[in-house]
Amino acid sequence: MDLGQIVFNLLALGAAYALVALGFVLILNATGAVNFAQGDLVMAGGFAAVSFASMLDWPGVLLLPLVMAGLALVGVAVALVAYLPLRRRPPESVFISTIAVGIIAQNAATLGFGAQARAAPPLLPGGDGPGQKLAIILVAAALIGALYVMFMHTQTGRRLRATAQDRDIAAAIGIRVDAMVIATFAVAASLAGAAGLLLANLFFVTPVDGANYILKAYIAVTIGGWGSIAGAVTGALLIALFEVLWPALPLLLPGLDAISGAFSQTMSTIALDIVILLLLMLRPQGLFGQAARSRA
Amino acid sequence: MLLEIENCFVSYGQIAALRGVSLGVPAGGAVALLGANGAGKSTLMRTIIGLLRPRAGRIRFAGTDITALPAASRARLGLGYCPEGRRVFPGLSIRDNLLVACWAGRAERARRLEQMFTLFPALGERPGANAWQLSGGQQQMLAIGRSLMNAPRLLLLDEPSLGLSPRLTEEVLGRIPQIVASGTAVLLAEQNAARALSVCGHGSVLRLGELVLAGPAAELAASPDIRRAFLGG
Repeated sequence: MDLGQIVFNLLALGAAYALVALGFVLILNATGAVNFAQGDLVMAGGFAAVSFASMLDWPGVLLLPLVMAGLALVGVAVALVAYLPLRRRPPESVFISTIAVGIIAQNAATLGFGAQARAAPPLLPGGDGPGQKLAIILVAAALIGALYVMFMHTQTGRRLRATAQDRDIAAAIGIRVDAMVIATFAVAASLAGAAGLLLANLFFVTPVDGANYILKAYIAVTIGGWGSIAGAVTGALLIALFEVLWPALPLLLPGLDAISGAFSQTMSTIALDIVILLLLMLRPQGLFGQAARSRA
Repeated sequence: MLLEIENCFVSYGQIAALRGVSLGVPAGGAVALLGANGAGKSTLMRTIIGLLRPRAGRIRFAGTDITALPAASRARLGLGYCPEGRRVFPGLSIRDNLLVACWAGRAERARRLEQMFTLFPALGERPGANAWQLSGGQQQMLAIGRSLMNAPRLLLLDEPSLGLSPRLTEEVLGRIPQIVASGTAVLLAEQNAARALSVCGHGSVLRLGELVLAGPAAELAASPDIRRAFLGG
């Protein structure tokens, strides 16, 4: 494995994680609540890709819009069932209701697909290769770019951001706040669906994968800066950096072979956790934690 | 009357905040809503825009009963609300704070944006700056600009001078005749009674949630009751 390949793997994994973290942070900003079902929506996206593939025999890049649309509907359902009835309660109630949604999704997946691992088709038809990784990077970058343009340069995006920042005032300038929150859940879930398709091809998908992904999203958003979009992407790339680069270090630097035990997957997780602890001690607000603050 | 409030009762839990308030704002007119801290001025403003629901009473706007309408619908009917404490969207740029409040098409949005930059030149100097970076006075101008972006028929201005220096208060309140002249009626809640009465045609005085006095601004400004209560003698 040469350096170029490692960089491709790192960016592909980081890009997929970034989609998970972005969905998480969008809901966090719009509702002030943590959506603990975000990881399970990624898992659901993986299984949606697997089942569409079994019916259609299309490459992943064509399945992607289907999976995203399907998950957007799931997102609307999650908003209607697990968020809107609790919107006047403290945010902790939404923690619980989204955890419940996650458990339901896990059990539904186990019931429908069994516990064994499945794989989604690659984005492009044909074999495995750096082209597939490049396609993942490009697809994720295009989604993140489209999201950026939508949020920063359209009226809908402005309304979504205004709703996230001050709900009462958003309503007082004519914004249908509940509709905006439902739309946010739809966008967040469709991002999770896209990530699910990509990750179910990079790895496999099983019904219990959600916990792993929500943990990564949580870490990405914490180190990036709670609520920061740029921080979520940066945090996701940092996680991928440790997961891909750390185990590959002995290959890149032959001198490290003697202590190759220090470069196992387990050790890479430990190293990442140590970096997170240090980061939180030195910069508790996260890397991009001051992107939006209020003036005293 | 453009806005008619009839016998409105509003309470926070057990505590009555408005007790049978009736008030009207004529089309194209300006009414000052006076009263001490806690008299119920902001409560009345929040009730008119729809952020609070009256326990009893009716609110009519431009001939429509809006008592049961949500705030978003009231805003789109032509009510503009500039809240106490400014409440600009801190992470949105000046430009986005203004654009987000406009429901007209793209060309009209751009035209109104230019209008606001003409009304408040300070906002046009760096339209890309985030709202949290602005000074209090600039934030107040942005909040007023935002509430004018949908070309409302009635502007609800809640304590625009709060926390501003006398010079900035003058600059902000001084724009009100200009706004009224452009055809927008104004309901102005203010503690600075003398200045508020000087820019409004009528005034109403709230005390402990009840309307205790109403009349032409010139009469109120000359009334000994008002002078004693608000004008310092």
